[in-house]
Amino acid sequence: MSLSPASGIGRFYKHSAKIIRFARHGCTNRPFFHIVVMERRKNQHQPVIEQVGSYDPLPNVTNERLVALNTERIRYWLGKGAHMSDPVAELLGIAGLLPVHPHTYMTAWRNRKAAAEAAAAEAVKPAETA
Amino acid sequence: MLILRQLRKLNAAQRLQLGVDQTRRSLSDASLQYDKDPQPLFTDAETQRLLQSMTQLQLEKVFRKRTVEDNSTETKFMTTEQLEKEFVLTIEKAKKLLQMPPVVQIKKDTERIISKDPALKDFADSKYVFTDITFGLRPSDRKVVVRDVDGTLAYAPLETQKRMNQLYFPLVGRRSYTPRMFSEEQLLQRCLDDHKYEFILDRLTVQYEPYEAEFHNISAKVFTHLNESKQFDLLRSTRHFGPMAFFYAWHRCIDDLLYDMIRRDYLSNAVQLIALSYKIHNVPVEYGQTLSQLEALQPTPAERALEELLSCLKKPSEKGIEQEIQTAIGKTEQDFAADEISLKFIEQYIGSEHALKKVQLELAVQTLKEVNLEKLQLFKGLKKAHGVQAS
Repeated sequence: MSLSPASGIGRFYKHSAKIIRFARHGCTNRPFFHIVVMERRKNQHQPVIEQVGSYDPLPNVTNERLVALNTERIRYWLGKGAHMSDPVAELLGIAGLLPVHPHTYMTAWRNRKAAAEAAAAEAVKPAETA
Repeated sequence: MLILRQLRKLNAAQRLQLGVDQTRRSLSDASLQYDKDPQPLFTDAETQRLLQSMTQLQLEKVFRKRTVEDNSTETKFMTTEQLEKEFVLTIEKAKKLLQMPPVVQIKKDTERIISKDPALKDFADSKYVFTDITFGLRPSDRKVVVRDVDGTLAYAPLETQKRMNQLYFPLVGRRSYTPRMFSEEQLLQRCLDDHKYEFILDRLTVQYEPYEAEFHNISAKVFTHLNESKQFDLLRSTRHFGPMAFFYAWHRCIDDLLYDMIRRDYLSNAVQLIALSYKIHNVPVEYGQTLSQLEALQPTPAERALEELLSCLKKPSEKGIEQEIQTAIGKTEQDFAADEISLKFIEQYIGSEHALKKVQLELAVQTLKEVNLEKLQLFKGLKKAHGVQAS
């Protein structure tokens, strides 16, 4: 798997379906994603039409996840009618570029619920032992 | 894995805390701060002219060998016309190398929230930082936004913005982490004690933006140390001389620099320094006339440098006897006239209440006067001996 330039070397048909999606470029146990534009039917490791960003899902030393977005080109491709994969749509929603994706709200609600349950269980446990 | 991550978070938090402590301490150490925005005064055309003139343009200092990988020189055959053109270009290049880093106010970090969404609380366990990597934006225009864990979307603080800019668009020479020279007090002190002022200031200019607090603190520290060690000549003809002179003028401690200028016989520079301090503090003394007189008598540093370059094209036989006398003495007739005007202005300053080290300055002026008188006598005598008409 060789790295193609950000301007892309992927060949594509004029009217084929394009998609903005992740392409995994990490190694084992260390994911790192490029946000790329490519033909929908193609495999993620094939040459891309254009790279429009990157996403590092592992928090860095200051506990941040870093995302780079080429907003100009993303807007261009969305205007051209490109599709978006769900993870990318979620990410753009979090970035404030698009409305927040419903799935993000679901995750947030589930996380809060799990935290509340864990807190409740913590509160019950000392009462039992006492 | 989880434990590791927790540990790392803890470490990061500690380090951040440490960083905050350090900046706070250095803030209290550096007592000399610009109390209001110095930028309008600094970028003013007259101030710039004064500072450039004070900086001087010594070509051998501007184009000295530097500690860089490539110090190679190119040798070419040229006609005289080509060489003259090349000289003009060289002066332009030197002017560019002497461009001063601006003196501006410290930029305050303001929190700018774009949206608050409580329904997004706990959507992830760490915040997201989004950087716009659109091609061709200026680093200051590049949007960096942060989505916090509680669902708030806001513009990133300046520190994060700088870090992201450096990560995605690295500047050559700027480090992602603070160089130890700037984070550890004793290392900076060692550099200062070795009088590596230019090295510190060069690196400071690369590492920090002029509106950052660290830039102000460290440069204030360097200038204060320099004022004590009095090695002003190390910064002469570098890009940091202007900001240094401006700093002293602003904080009313020009006397040591003034003494150095008088001792080295840069009298017009001394006048410019005094004029600058009058200008900054709105002292009701008329200095414009003296400055314009001096300007009429003496060429600008760039003109002087160009003249010096062009003079090496002439053969010794072409130079007149007058030229030879001037090079032997090191002064022209205009220089003597300019010195007289400057000395009058400087003595006026020493007599006023603005001068702090009066005795020292007076002595320096007295010594210089005697030397000048001797030179003038020699100049006149030589002229007479060679039969040159007094103009």
